[in-house]
Amino acid sequence: MATEAVAVDVDGVVKRFGKQIALDGVSLRVRRGEVYGLLGPNGAGKTTLIRSFVGLVAPEQGTVTVLGRRMPQLEVLAHVGYMTQQAALYPDLSAEENVHFFGAINGRVDGVREALEFVDLWDRRKSVVSTLSGGMRTRCSLACALVHKPDLLLLDEPTVGVDPQLRVQLWDGFRKMAAAGRSIVVSSHVMDEAERCDRLGLIRFGKLLAEGTVAEIKAKAGVDRLEEAFLKLSGVSDS
Amino acid sequence: MSGRRVGAISTRLLQQFRRDHRTLGLLFGAPLVILALLGYLLRGGGDVPKMGVVNLDGGGLGSVVASALERSKAVSASPMSAAGAEAKLRTGDIAGYVLLPADFSVQALQRRTIAPEVHLEGSQPGLSQSILQSVSQSFVALAGQAGGLQFAPRITFLYGGPSFDTLDYFGAAFIGLVVFFLVFVITAVAFLRERGQGTLERLMASPLRRAEIVLGYMLGFTVLALVQSVEVLAFSLLVLHVHNVGNVALIFLLEALMAIAAVNLGIFLSMFARTEFQAVQFIPLVIVPQMLLAGIIFPISTEPGPLQALSRVLPLTYAVEGLRNIMIKGADLSWSTLQLDIGVVLGFCVLVILAGAATLRRRIA
Repeated sequence: MATEAVAVDVDGVVKRFGKQIALDGVSLRVRRGEVYGLLGPNGAGKTTLIRSFVGLVAPEQGTVTVLGRRMPQLEVLAHVGYMTQQAALYPDLSAEENVHFFGAINGRVDGVREALEFVDLWDRRKSVVSTLSGGMRTRCSLACALVHKPDLLLLDEPTVGVDPQLRVQLWDGFRKMAAAGRSIVVSSHVMDEAERCDRLGLIRFGKLLAEGTVAEIKAKAGVDRLEEAFLKLSGVSDS
Repeated sequence: MSGRRVGAISTRLLQQFRRDHRTLGLLFGAPLVILALLGYLLRGGGDVPKMGVVNLDGGGLGSVVASALERSKAVSASPMSAAGAEAKLRTGDIAGYVLLPADFSVQALQRRTIAPEVHLEGSQPGLSQSILQSVSQSFVALAGQAGGLQFAPRITFLYGGPSFDTLDYFGAAFIGLVVFFLVFVITAVAFLRERGQGTLERLMASPLRRAEIVLGYMLGFTVLALVQSVEVLAFSLLVLHVHNVGNVALIFLLEALMAIAAVNLGIFLSMFARTEFQAVQFIPLVIVPQMLLAGIIFPISTEPGPLQALSRVLPLTYAVEGLRNIMIKGADLSWSTLQLDIGVVLGFCVLVILAGAATLRRRIA
């Protein structure tokens, strides 16, 4: 399964919630072994797009193919790790129990220690989640998404509330995973994070406005800073 | 103390309710529904207890008593043969009958005692009480005619006995109810928390199948519910000494089925609530009407006709009836009434399991 050259293939996906159009014909490809950043303001459709990767959003038009399987498909989800924006954990369980549970439902519990060490929570593994700080919960939630060693990792704003030092550490970890052939999709609205991605997709009003490496996007917009490029390409800047 | 700050809190509360139409509806609608139901139940002209009058008396006094009973408004008495009355008592068609023996008049005139036999079904203390009252009242007329009579009825019970009291009657039902309602509320709230804290989203993004989630929930909560059942049963039987002539294993079987039904009803109904607050609202909506109509407090046979039909549709009615059949009447699996009771509860279990699994998909996509 990990031998597919394309980890995620999104083709013309349209999704409405009532009259609100959340995804307006999005097409993009995430290659195997790359870190793909979804960049866009709040409400741009990033979360809806990520949810469509795991079959939680059924597109009205278009198709989503994940690790070579047309979604929705249950079995392939064992190879996908999904970290929701909100730290989705059981507050009455310890950090380790949470990670173990999410490993178990995905069929693998041998990576509990590795996952907790990755997010620097091994020492706090016995702590009940409700006693952890917000940043620690975010990290625990990330560990839950990693524990079954997925080929595709979907991270919806993974470093919100995480201190800068640990953020650097986590990104090093993401880069290592990508180097080992695993694919990562990260949504963010933080520009310095976006700079660390191999390729970026700019989303606004449910449309993919631009796609490419950081350098390509800067070049397309004709500016030096990614932030300016983003504003220019999304039509906010009038220059 | 700042009036403005206090006012801000009060105003905010009212603002929240303005958007929660369901809570408003419940706040103003539920009391009326429950009171109306209770009013109809108690004043809706329900049936009075049915009883038989077996008059074997050779003299004239027997027919005086018999006609006094048949005129009574507190019971619906009709004449029948001794064998017919006994058969109807056993099937539960009548709650009791009075038998006036062949020497009834003779005894009354010679020994100055009137000694009718009163045979009571006995499983429902309220009905037994009505019949005993009517019978003794019917003799008041007789005592007026021939003064100085001693009234010494000989009372027998088919089920229960003279010491059988209200707790024995309610106890059988409550053993099941406590488990059913607590498990229902706990499951509904737990499932809503799963939704609210976002972990359900994670479960749905894993290879877990819906049936696996429902089954996992069912097993987990059933363990809790069974432990609770054992505790409730042991306390009722060993500490409170609630009347039981039946097989404890059968009681437990029925309780276990109710627990499984409650878990799945909790999962199913939690799909229709957004918050834990709304889940708690199912108590007056789902639980209270069932409490009133499942024959727990008021015997179904004395409810107004339309409510009897409604009661006969509620699965809880059969669970309560089943528990009473076992504990009060000593029913075993060869009894067709108990087969029906267990069958209905089992069918309800299957229905809510399927309903829970079906709604889970609908709310996620």
